[in-house]
Amino acid sequence: MSSATRPSAAARPPASADALLVAEAVQKTYAMGRTTLVVLRGCDLRVRAGEFVAIMGKSGSGKSTLLHILGALDVPQDGQVYFGGAPVFAPPGRRRLRTTALDVLSAAERRRIALRRRAFGFVFQFYHLLPELNVLENVLLARMVGTRVLAWPAARAAARADALAILERVGLRDRLRHRPSELSGGERQRVAIARALVHRPQILLADEPTGNLDAENGAALLALLKGLHADGQTIVLVTHDPGVAAQADRVLLLEGGRLRTV
Amino acid sequence: MYKLFLTLRYLRKRRIAYFAIAAVMLCSAMVLIVMSVMGGFLDLLKTKARGLLGDIIIDNRSYSGFPLYDEFIADISAWPEIEKATPVLYSYGLLRFSETTQTQTVRVVGIRLADVYVVNAFKSGLYYETYYPGTTSLAPQAQPRVGFDVQQTIEIRDERGTRVGTGPRPVLPPEYQAALERSWAAGLRDTLTPPTELTAILRGAGLPEIVGVYDLVDDHGPPRFTGNELPGLIIGRDIIAERLPTAAYKRFWAYPRGCVVALTLLPLSATGTADIPVKQPFRYVDDSRTGIYEIDSQHVYCDFELLQKLLQMHATERVDPETGRTIGTVPGRASQIQVKLRPQVAGRPVRPEAVAQRLSEHYHALAADPRFDLGFDDRLLIDRVEALTWEESQRHIIAPVENERRLVTILFGIISLVAVVLVLCILYMIVLQKTRDIGIVKSIGGSSTGVAAIFVTYGAAVGLVGALSGAALGIVFVHHINEIQDFLTWAFGWRVWSREVYSFDAIPSTVRVEDTVAVIVAAILAATLGSLLAAWRAGAMQPVEALRHE
Repeated sequence: MSSATRPSAAARPPASADALLVAEAVQKTYAMGRTTLVVLRGCDLRVRAGEFVAIMGKSGSGKSTLLHILGALDVPQDGQVYFGGAPVFAPPGRRRLRTTALDVLSAAERRRIALRRRAFGFVFQFYHLLPELNVLENVLLARMVGTRVLAWPAARAAARADALAILERVGLRDRLRHRPSELSGGERQRVAIARALVHRPQILLADEPTGNLDAENGAALLALLKGLHADGQTIVLVTHDPGVAAQADRVLLLEGGRLRTV
Repeated sequence: MYKLFLTLRYLRKRRIAYFAIAAVMLCSAMVLIVMSVMGGFLDLLKTKARGLLGDIIIDNRSYSGFPLYDEFIADISAWPEIEKATPVLYSYGLLRFSETTQTQTVRVVGIRLADVYVVNAFKSGLYYETYYPGTTSLAPQAQPRVGFDVQQTIEIRDERGTRVGTGPRPVLPPEYQAALERSWAAGLRDTLTPPTELTAILRGAGLPEIVGVYDLVDDHGPPRFTGNELPGLIIGRDIIAERLPTAAYKRFWAYPRGCVVALTLLPLSATGTADIPVKQPFRYVDDSRTGIYEIDSQHVYCDFELLQKLLQMHATERVDPETGRTIGTVPGRASQIQVKLRPQVAGRPVRPEAVAQRLSEHYHALAADPRFDLGFDDRLLIDRVEALTWEESQRHIIAPVENERRLVTILFGIISLVAVVLVLCILYMIVLQKTRDIGIVKSIGGSSTGVAAIFVTYGAAVGLVGALSGAALGIVFVHHINEIQDFLTWAFGWRVWSREVYSFDAIPSTVRVEDTVAVIVAAILAATLGSLLAAWRAGAMQPVEALRHE
């Protein structure tokens, strides 16, 4: 259903007030030359605080796209995402699908940036660490973002303490000065988790976090995620591995551009 | 904070940025060197012009000169603004060295030496006067010769300091020796000129060194003056000595102080034609260096009154051609009057332009002054007299150099845009290489503007580092520019700065603070400008696309 034939999702209030993250009728298409590839056809999702939700689907089913939209990294053509009851995107008619270097001038973009800084933490399949920075710097970077230069000297000690605490938790306290190239895949992913958590996000969004790891490291990472969840961390995880998905409270399947409960 | 952190980290870790820094550095250094050399040339031109001419120059641009100069000087000497005024006479002549029969055409300048010492910086360029103060004179004199004081025995050592024997002390005639010892006691040393055998002996004995070149007495007797008394002549240093790459001058034994040189002059007749040449022998008493090659390689200086007489420009009786009776006086003439002003009068600064205007008016008024019985030709010569400040008189030289400096700076500035393009290319390349990093930064909350700011700051940092190192390189290069040229000349025979073309014998250079600051600021702005496109692209990257970048 197109936005012209039904009321805009963004115009409606979130269906569930107790949900931390709500996606309603999210649509995403990609132009592939002359054809248009519809990836999400109207996804609805509700994630409560403290919940561990796994989204499964085949490769190319749109899992990562959905996760990027949920995490305000990508913009849907239609539908809306609410975080804490507030819409993440502008109404579809006023929505800009591409950003520019001056996007800070847009209120909706400013809101999304603020969410990425404070509310969301991302973990990617391929770790995505900055190769020039060591472990501690990669983690601290997430705290530097959003802190002004003049405020940093005052904030630095607390940020460093938080970074060291989280690195302790992921078992990398002794690898602070190592660069990503000097770490194993499992260690890199743990650094990525530390970076995603150092600013104490409300939701951890993990995109195939074990996809690039061997079984042993994958299991260790899952144990870590379960531990975090046990401590109250809300997690939305995307995976194609049923074994990984089985660790979650709730498993959803993305198929044909729509989500359904498994 | 992340912007500054990542900028500094990329600056250190991305070695490709060193090329951009090197480009900015070379361009900054190049522009600064050009500005400094051209600025130095301009400054030197102004300084030398002022040093040679005094504050105001009164001239009528005629080879015939103009009359009533002494009367005029007597009048204006009473003005509170005037410190000193002196007449100068210019002519051309043929200089011949008696010992070598070497001849060359020269510009002959008639001066009153004592006055010129006050009016301009001529004295500071005299060699012998520096080390033998008070001995340079244009009056008739014999040749001073080094002799021996048998009362004093000194140890003679070779170049390595080994004693090779003893002998009587070489000394100059008493007034010269006393002058030398005065300057020696005042700490004056000629450290540039290569030592002669004589200076080496005296240095070995720890005695004042007889610098310059003097003839020895023939009989190992006491020092004395020999030869006829002849008027003194100061010769441009590049005529009589050879400039060494070390900037020192080598004087030749063939031209000792006091040797005889002859000048042949062509006086103008009353009709303005040169009919009968006159020849006058002189003694070489000193050599002068102004630093302007054109002058130092062509000018010789003799006594004003003597030159006036030789050129038949001195005051003579006016005779009635019909009766043959004396009916008055034909006044003597000068080519120029140089005036030195007091910096201030009654606490107020003296304005040279206003004084020059008054001097012009006063000179023109002399033509109608009933005190003087001037002929028609003399009135015409006075009418053409003009008083100009040294800057106005040299405007025809200074203005083109100023324009040239501006033009060359603009041209080199345009060439430096290459650095901007290079910064653009390198930063664009870095943005492409760092696409995934940009996605990561955006995923953790970096804004597009913030990401763009990383690269703008990066460009500015490249500009800052490049500009500062370029300024340092430029300053060091300019400071040693003459040594570099001397090395190139020595190693490859390649002389970039031709003193024949550019007048000055050394490459002038003045690094001005304002030029350095301007170059640094411009380089930073240019590099920042070069980073804008790359920054825009980085800022406009979609985080998801950037994260998927392979």
